[in-house]
Amino acid sequence: MSQSSEAPIVELDGLSVGFGDKTVIDGVDLQLRPREIFGVVGETGAGKSVLARAIIGLLPTGGRVLAGQVRYRGQPVSTMGPEDARAFRGGKVALIGTNAKALLDPVARVGDQIARVVRSHERLDKRAATARAVALMREIGINDPERRARAYPHELSGGMAQRIVIAMALAGNPDVLLADDATLGLDATVQAQVLESLVERSRERGLSVLLVTHDLGIVRHYCDRVAVMKAGRLVEVGDVEPFLAAPANPYSRELLDAARARPTLQRPLAEDDRPPLVSVRDLTMHFAVPGSVEPIRAVDGVSFSIAAGETLALVGESGSGKTTAGQCLMRLLDNTDGRIIFNGRDITDLRENAFRPLRRNMQMVFQEPYVALNPRWRVRDLLAEPMALIEPMTSAERARRVAELLEAVHLPTALAEARPHELTAGEQKRVGVARALATKPSFIVFDEPTTALDIRVRAQIIDLIRGLQSQMNLAALFITHDLNSVRSLAHRVAVMHLGKIVEQGSTEAIFERAEHPYTRKLLAAELPVDCEPLPPGDIAA
Amino acid sequence: MRVSPRQFWRRQPRLLRIIVTRIALIVPQMFGVTLIAFLLIRLLPGDPARLILGNFATDESIALYHQKLGLDKDVWTQFAIYLGNVLHGDLGTSPFTSKPILDDLADRAPATLELILFAVICTVGIGVTIAVTSVVKKGSAFDWGARAYGFAAGALPDFWVALLLVFFLYYMLGWAPAPFGRVDMMLTPPPTVTGFLTIDSLLAGDFEAFRSSAGRLILPILTITIVNAGAVTKMTQTVFAEIWAAPFVEQMRACGVPERQIIRAALRNSLPPIISVSSFILGFLLGAAVLVETIFSWGGLGQYAVQAVINSDYAALQGFVLVASAFILVVYSIADILYEVVDPRIRT
Repeated sequence: MSQSSEAPIVELDGLSVGFGDKTVIDGVDLQLRPREIFGVVGETGAGKSVLARAIIGLLPTGGRVLAGQVRYRGQPVSTMGPEDARAFRGGKVALIGTNAKALLDPVARVGDQIARVVRSHERLDKRAATARAVALMREIGINDPERRARAYPHELSGGMAQRIVIAMALAGNPDVLLADDATLGLDATVQAQVLESLVERSRERGLSVLLVTHDLGIVRHYCDRVAVMKAGRLVEVGDVEPFLAAPANPYSRELLDAARARPTLQRPLAEDDRPPLVSVRDLTMHFAVPGSVEPIRAVDGVSFSIAAGETLALVGESGSGKTTAGQCLMRLLDNTDGRIIFNGRDITDLRENAFRPLRRNMQMVFQEPYVALNPRWRVRDLLAEPMALIEPMTSAERARRVAELLEAVHLPTALAEARPHELTAGEQKRVGVARALATKPSFIVFDEPTTALDIRVRAQIIDLIRGLQSQMNLAALFITHDLNSVRSLAHRVAVMHLGKIVEQGSTEAIFERAEHPYTRKLLAAELPVDCEPLPPGDIAA
Repeated sequence: MRVSPRQFWRRQPRLLRIIVTRIALIVPQMFGVTLIAFLLIRLLPGDPARLILGNFATDESIALYHQKLGLDKDVWTQFAIYLGNVLHGDLGTSPFTSKPILDDLADRAPATLELILFAVICTVGIGVTIAVTSVVKKGSAFDWGARAYGFAAGALPDFWVALLLVFFLYYMLGWAPAPFGRVDMMLTPPPTVTGFLTIDSLLAGDFEAFRSSAGRLILPILTITIVNAGAVTKMTQTVFAEIWAAPFVEQMRACGVPERQIIRAALRNSLPPIISVSSFILGFLLGAAVLVETIFSWGGLGQYAVQAVINSDYAALQGFVLVASAFILVVYSIADILYEVVDPRIRT
């Protein structure tokens, strides 16, 4: 797929970008050719997003170009006047960002927002622009676009909002798209659909796409060429096929190995006659909707049980009710119906003060650790807080326990003095896990512990949880939509869809012999780095 | 299929639902305001009969007067009578002007309303413009000037600003008309339609009266604007700056939307707090403009209320409290309606 004879559309020539005295992009050379889809991969903090922003000449506040330049069809972007630069953005090169819901004006109808971009690049009256917006929405795969165009952003799902942002990017008829982790945080099935329509439109229109991502599976499926970025430099650039077969750079190899790692499947625990540690019967949680007679059935008659030391994975797309089920289990929400039995005791209707002594035995690791950790506290205080609730301790004892906990989650003791914002995402997750372990519980709910993490960090967190479980004989409910981590962690899997469990069984049975069509759809949405099925020997190992 | 009342309600347009809900609330609110106005006056010390009849009145004449005023009945009966009178538009008669209080208020209210409505429009317009410009041109000389003004404006006394303006613009330079009332005394005021002299004179086609009444408005409006725009500026700056840094603004810029349209969209997002602060200033000025009214011999409501307090004219005071509360209630209701209209995320 080499088109080296044609002149590049966008060309980066020794580009360096700095914030303050820190260099974030360090001498990057890159050529984006006509009609190619070019992947840029790297971990968080590698400078990928800044790279995309530098191309359209909109660096985040404080950023400035230190050296080199960006050329569009031979013309340096920095020499454009303000009006030319405006017409260039969206009209020639368009950016699609992460977290689409935040990228849309909350008080304007989405159709009007697309029409606004159309009219910024073309002299059209309002009606013609709205008609164009509706056409774009249809093109990008939105059903019933006339009605959707009148919706406000808060009425849309994440995937729908992402499609609107893509339609906005296409509205100015650009010939280059910069997709900056455009599908981060979306469910696998939705991500696949959105990427599919994005790539399809680009091929149809003959666009060049710079696909910034940390997911090598995406690169393998959609890209022609790929660049690996590390600490502001491109360490390797090449065609995707040879790159995947034999990466030249050791860092690329490391990334690829982490992405390829198909962990061995967890075997089911040996059957025994002991009663399960946690048992849930017909759990139901309905939310009343203001202005509607019909409640939202977030969890609708769910039953499962977890034995001591066993891990049950609850998988499904966002909105399927997995997190709500976990919160009911922890009694953070009062379930509408059904029974919850913990350690032989019915805790469904326990009053808060009777339930509190039990809380030390069941803990939850929250989805977004940064939000769940008090930003003004040091790690040491965050870890000591739950301990103080269960027994009085001297400060020396407490310091010793904090050190133990940090060691258990493989964090250096020095981090005890840090505050949450000084930690990386992976470290924050570890602190969240350590905080749940502080009371030595026998059961933990992990809510999406691996979402939005880089691949290598994700693997480390999974190793950590797996190690802790076997050491401490923990039972766990593992709520996730990341199927890869389910393989290595869960003994059994329950698949949840629209508030109900559609299929439940051993991990092997679900991954190898899924029966329910929804489960199959979920499995098919994964974008593996390698397309050939694993040899059977690997699975049994 | 039968449609339940609830479903019928859900199917009405959002705007209609907002307005009907808010108007339905006005009735109990107005009842509460009347009750409080009634009780507050009852709490004031002194016997109105003795106050009116003087120190030499006999106990008999006072008892007679009590009977005449209904003060011998229990308090709830008195309230029922008062409420009945209010509903019939009877707020009592002032013993000092010997005119029905409603007529007195109707004479003076348009003067104050004309002044504060135009003043609030200027205050909000100028405050928001300064705030937006300073955020968009952050770090410029204008930004620093705007911040200094926002800092200082809250500390400026209005009577002082008014006197300075009169001194410089009228006395020294002669640009502004004299601070004596709403219209030149040599002119015949236009026939009353709205009570706003500027509008009435235009309706009557009397351009001389219009020039005079509009000119007389300049200095008092300028005073109120200078004093109050600072608060609007500060508040708008905070809200607008936050929205100006939001990802969706950056996204519009990345899509090549012209800067002026981005400002308009960001301003649209900042409207709810601006509506709140505008309605607050409008309600507050009803009484607070009294010093400005006095300096410019405006003959407005504030002056009337102060006079009523000085004269211990309880009936007039009660009438003022009632009318002022009703006005504030209407202003806040409109603000509430606008608030929900501009933010589609509020469920109704």
